[in-house]
Amino acid sequence: MSLKTLIIDDELLARDEMASLLEAHEDIKIVGEAANAIEGMALINQLQPDLVFVDIQMPKITGIEMLAMLDSDRMPYMVFVTAYDEHAISAFENNAFDYLLKPVAPERLAKTLNRVRQAEQPRDLTPLMESVLTHLPCVSGKTLKIVPCDEVEYAFSDLSGVHIATRSGTFHTHLTLKTLEQRSPLMRCHRQYLVSPDSIAEIELQEGGGGEIHTRSGQAIAVSRRYLKAIKQQFGFQ
Amino acid sequence: MSPSPLETVELIIKLTQQMSLYLVLAYLLTKTPVLRPMVDLAVHLPHKLILYVTFSIFCILGTYFGEQTQGAIANTRAMGAILSGLLGGPVTGFLVGLTGGLHRYSLGGFTDLACTISTTVEGLFAGLMHLRLRRSFQLEQLFNPFRVFAVAAVAEVMQMVIILLIARPFADAWALVQTIAIPMILVNSLGAALFMSMIRDQRTMAETLSSTHSAKALKIAERTVGILASGFNQQSTAKIARIIFEETHVSAVAITDTEKLLAFIGTGDDHHKPGTPISSALTMEAIEQNRVVFADGVQREYQCSLSRHCQLGSSLIVPLNGDNGVIGTVKLYEKKQRLFLHLNQTLGEGIARVLSNQILHGRYLEQKSLLTQAELKLLQAQISPHFLFNALNTLAAITRRSPDKARPLILDLAAFLRANLKRGTGEISLKEELEHIRTYLTIEQARFGDRLSVEISVPEALHDARLPTFTLQPLVENAIKHGTSTILEPGKIRIWAKPTASELVLTVEDNAGAFPEHPKESEGLGLNIVHRRIQGMYGPEFGLHVECEPGEYTRIQVRLPRRSE
Repeated sequence: MSLKTLIIDDELLARDEMASLLEAHEDIKIVGEAANAIEGMALINQLQPDLVFVDIQMPKITGIEMLAMLDSDRMPYMVFVTAYDEHAISAFENNAFDYLLKPVAPERLAKTLNRVRQAEQPRDLTPLMESVLTHLPCVSGKTLKIVPCDEVEYAFSDLSGVHIATRSGTFHTHLTLKTLEQRSPLMRCHRQYLVSPDSIAEIELQEGGGGEIHTRSGQAIAVSRRYLKAIKQQFGFQ
Repeated sequence: MSPSPLETVELIIKLTQQMSLYLVLAYLLTKTPVLRPMVDLAVHLPHKLILYVTFSIFCILGTYFGEQTQGAIANTRAMGAILSGLLGGPVTGFLVGLTGGLHRYSLGGFTDLACTISTTVEGLFAGLMHLRLRRSFQLEQLFNPFRVFAVAAVAEVMQMVIILLIARPFADAWALVQTIAIPMILVNSLGAALFMSMIRDQRTMAETLSSTHSAKALKIAERTVGILASGFNQQSTAKIARIIFEETHVSAVAITDTEKLLAFIGTGDDHHKPGTPISSALTMEAIEQNRVVFADGVQREYQCSLSRHCQLGSSLIVPLNGDNGVIGTVKLYEKKQRLFLHLNQTLGEGIARVLSNQILHGRYLEQKSLLTQAELKLLQAQISPHFLFNALNTLAAITRRSPDKARPLILDLAAFLRANLKRGTGEISLKEELEHIRTYLTIEQARFGDRLSVEISVPEALHDARLPTFTLQPLVENAIKHGTSTILEPGKIRIWAKPTASELVLTVEDNAGAFPEHPKESEGLGLNIVHRRIQGMYGPEFGLHVECEPGEYTRIQVRLPRRSE
């Protein structure tokens, strides 16, 4: 059985080096490479790899920040790679996570791969995650965009994926609604909608138990009956 | 037969004439150093000896100048005995009185014994008054002419009583006392009071003289400039103590910190050893209460805490103040048998102020240089781990991919590390600094590939300009670490120089515009050190200036004076 492997590092030579080192292991099949965390997430969602080597120091979103943006149900084995990051290393050691130091020694890599094959690596990565996301990676055409959470009015999913709506526009994101619900201040109001409580201007109640939220920028979002109660409670309504 | 008022007045005038002569002599005396023991109050034996001799002569002269009256002598002898007692204490007073009395005895007459006894008693009485004032810490009152007048008047009344008790036949004694009592009580008391007021004036003058001590303190300040810049330690304080010793002519000078003796020079250096802990309670008092302690040996006893045989007899201890309170003391000593004291509170305080200022300045310089050295080490260390391991990882990849490109890169890394290690804290030429950042950037460009481009435009004419080591490299490192490496777009770093007639402005710009408004400690540290070093070396008008347009650029300008080798 081969392991579908992804390499995420912002340095081309570092990715090359890792790929070369992995060539020695027949069961490792490199399915893709990404030069930053945003591309990395897209590939993880798209390729569903078993194993990901991720650099910590990357532009905009670090390898550890990326972790919190992934769907925890479909989390691959993550192996962190760093040249020097005392802070991250102590976090790994405190939680028994595997990590590699650059330049990576082949013997050390082999040891890590053995642990991955035998599933010794803890699968629950939550201790490393920041509990609340402060910014969300988005894609707008060819531009990678980082949207601060407090600018988000609501998020929704449709056939083309998950979108984040701000006052200045709507952006595509690789985060799932579930991840957003778990790790951002957004609240579920509908099967396909999350809303930021801060942006709610009014809630119009409808017959049959549902309703409609009007945001501060004048957008209307559907609220289904099963989520209405929680939202009303958020603001102290009975 | 009681005397006519005319006779009494006549006697008063005659005695006053005598007293005037006496006072003229006294005045002349005040112009010589012999008076010093009187001014300072005699404590040690030589001083008392001087008092004894001087006032014994006064006593004898008083008898000689005396007026033959009814087989006895109306005189001003008592003044000498009373003054010596007041100034020198009971023993001195007693001895002077006895000497004057014995001399009187040798002249005979029916009051000879009575006069001998009464003069001795007068000296002793005045001495006891001295003791009383001393015990109640009112020694200054000795110089109060009214009090002296009262003491002398009481003493003279006592004399009259003694004459009446001892001189026989009583009728003659009674007649004599009727004649001489008023003139002698009046004149002797007045004379003693005037004499003492002369001494008091002299004391006031001596205090005024102490303003000349300020001049001494200034001289000391001038000579000690810069010595304490190397710190407050045994070496520097030894030099300072030597200068104070030479300028003040005191018997010994000591400098302590709050725990031990740092320097000692002068009498007693055989048992006052630098490096030993402070043992004197007076010094501890000066340190703990942060105030001047003056054990002049008179009002306050002084005894060397180390040796009973120490010759030092008085000590002035002045606390030295650093930035956080007392850091030590300066002590000035005089020997016990020293006739003329150079100790003076004003001078001591002046010296302490001068030294305190110099210590503060020295501390400041010391800390400044320590800080810079420590920070520079930090700066040297700061660049290493992240940069170095990434560089090695890059080299590992390149060695695999294209070994021929790895070799020059290794040489650049070696050159960079070597230059980093051997650089001191001084200045280098712009050319050297540019070479240093070239090696650095070559490695970073290999690492980031097309994600980093660099443009350096510095005219060759400026290559010999001087700048502090570690000026540009930390800025370039910062531009990558906190700039170009944090953006998704390709990074671009530009470095250029702009000279004016007197200044050289170097600019490092990146296209990230990610400079934080409030840099975290770790981010701002490198730049902060660079900035402070430049200001420390060239002045506050130079240093770094940061401009940041978020998302567009961060531009750091280095302003330096234009200097070349």
